[in-house]
Amino acid sequence: MTRPPQASSNLSVYLSHELRNALACIHQFGNILVDGLAGELSGEQREYVSIMLENASKIRSVLDSALDGVPGTPEECANKIKNVSKLET
Amino acid sequence: MPNKKILIVDDDPDVLQGMHVRLKANQYDICLAVDTFSGVAEARRSAPDLILLDLGLPAGGGFLVMERLKMIPSLAIIPVIVVSARDGLGNQKRAFDAGAKAFLQKPVDDNQLLAVIRQALGEPATAKKPTLHDQGAV
Repeated sequence: MTRPPQASSNLSVYLSHELRNALACIHQFGNILVDGLAGELSGEQREYVSIMLENASKIRSVLDSALDGVPGTPEECANKIKNVSKLET
Repeated sequence: MPNKKILIVDDDPDVLQGMHVRLKANQYDICLAVDTFSGVAEARRSAPDLILLDLGLPAGGGFLVMERLKMIPSLAIIPVIVVSARDGLGNQKRAFDAGAKAFLQKPVDDNQLLAVIRQALGEPATAKKPTLHDQGAV
């Protein structure tokens, strides 16, 4: 079953918006920790938060490449995400 | 010299808290609002030097906030920076047309946000504390 174009476009806008808000919080609080604004981190703690931020950035790249400005169907979006994932790895 | 005051208008409490911590650490005084109505009301009450404004707000939205601010001469001169999760395709132009000084799409790099804020406030660009972003890690 295929979705009507407007519904597909709305879905990608909705997904992009919700994921970007969540990512904004991950970036904000991750960088607050790394910058020591909530107390100094140990080397190991800093490494783990850095890994978290790196992966958040990968998700952001996928979003930038796959969803924004793409009035495509969910299937097209999924294909784009797959392609970006291949590039990331 | 007193700290500059920034009003953050966003309906996401986590975003508000994160920005609050970051900006407070950079010697700004912060006031907060969570929707269209309280955004305008808080701007009137606290007369901030700058407003960080989300677009997707309950009871109207960020564009309505800018429209209302423009109708009040003392508030119309406050620089507004739009920080939104919405795509920049149509919203960026609409934000600039509505008087925004800048349009930043979430998630925003902290250093970029601070640079845009300093520029909008007419402050000199100061040496910044490096983050992982600067080191290419994220």
